[in-house]
Amino acid sequence: MRTLALFAVAALFACAPAAPAQPEKKKNEDDFPREKPAVGDKLTDVTVYTPDGKEVKTAELRGHYTVLTFGCLT
Amino acid sequence: MKFFFVYKSLAHPELAGDYVQPFTLDERRAHARQAAKQLGATVPWIVDAMDNRLKHALGDRPNSEFVIDPKGVIVRKRAWSNPAQVRKDLEELVGKVDKVTREEDIKLALAPPVKAAAERGAVPRLKRPRMQAIEMEPVIEPKGLPFYAKLRAEADPEALRTGTGKLYLGFHIDPFHGAHWNNLTPPLKYKLDLPAGAKCSAATAEAAKVKPASDADPREFVLDVENWPTDKPVRLTVTYSACTETACHAVKQEYVLHLRRDRDGGGARGAGAGFWDPDEFAKQMLARDRDGDGKLDRKEVMGLVLPHFEKFDTNGDGVLDAKELRAVSDWLNTHHKPGAPAPVPKK
Repeated sequence: MRTLALFAVAALFACAPAAPAQPEKKKNEDDFPREKPAVGDKLTDVTVYTPDGKEVKTAELRGHYTVLTFGCLT
Repeated sequence: MKFFFVYKSLAHPELAGDYVQPFTLDERRAHARQAAKQLGATVPWIVDAMDNRLKHALGDRPNSEFVIDPKGVIVRKRAWSNPAQVRKDLEELVGKVDKVTREEDIKLALAPPVKAAAERGAVPRLKRPRMQAIEMEPVIEPKGLPFYAKLRAEADPEALRTGTGKLYLGFHIDPFHGAHWNNLTPPLKYKLDLPAGAKCSAATAEAAKVKPASDADPREFVLDVENWPTDKPVRLTVTYSACTETACHAVKQEYVLHLRRDRDGGGARGAGAGFWDPDEFAKQMLARDRDGDGKLDRKEVMGLVLPHFEKFDTNGDGVLDAKELRAVSDWLNTHHKPGAPAPVPKK
């Protein structure tokens, strides 16, 4: 549970304060639930990396519930 | 249950920390390690490839969130991360927990951004309203010097549409390489090799001399381009001198520019200040006031503000008025700085 709470706080800082009121983004956000991939689709199998350079295949995330949150420094 | 942050291209280059888009996977991995330090959280990061394949595969949003079930199926998705909603999702999917840890129970070991190797503020920034990042490829030599200064190329909508308009070229010191400009040598100079028929107000130019012996301000140019065919790339060559702690380097590097929008380039926010004017912010937010009551209820709010709605609703009336929205902008203007407080809890 501690992990979940940490995640919740960290997510607050992780996201950029991206223009919540810019017209293009508003439209996109409203459309998001209807866009692909949809709920029910499989997570695409691609290779990404750990910060220290190891390859990670998204297929390897199976076997658990997994929460993915996109973020960046700014 | 596993949690991951996915490190992607910068949503807002030049914001807090003056970070710029990395050019290599090694540089992006360094960003992710720094992000882990700045957040001080235990949630691990994974790093998207330089072709942004995972971002593209999952809808191209800056701060989206997905819950994947054990079979690899997407069971929840939202355009903006919402920690409270994730908690509800997981309670629905796997059950409630005995003790809920609150945000305020946790002390994160936040680290400061990477420090620039020299002072900033010696060179006035250029305004570049309505400009958008365009695609460009740095020509990376396997054994070449790092791109101590990285090009940010932008074009205005007219240029993107017609090939005639404004072009922004900004050479930004990358704080991750610990370098600064060497102002004791000739200033940065660039040269554009334009396709036949294309014209430019400054196909070659040199940055103004800067008084201090070193600094880390960007070297910026706004040009008029004319008849740049949208299907013809432009080669750019830049020369400059940069110093690290151990050595100074005469650098010559090249880029190939394409006159098409870079959808992974992020928005550098005009002059890069990343500052929301409180009145303008409130006005823009109130553009979503669908029922015209001059306030926003939860259904009319979106983005990063939504997860914190209750905290921003300081008078507890269930809506955000102009005064409360101006306070939101104050928070947005500072929340990227490590140690900056989260929204003030409702009393």
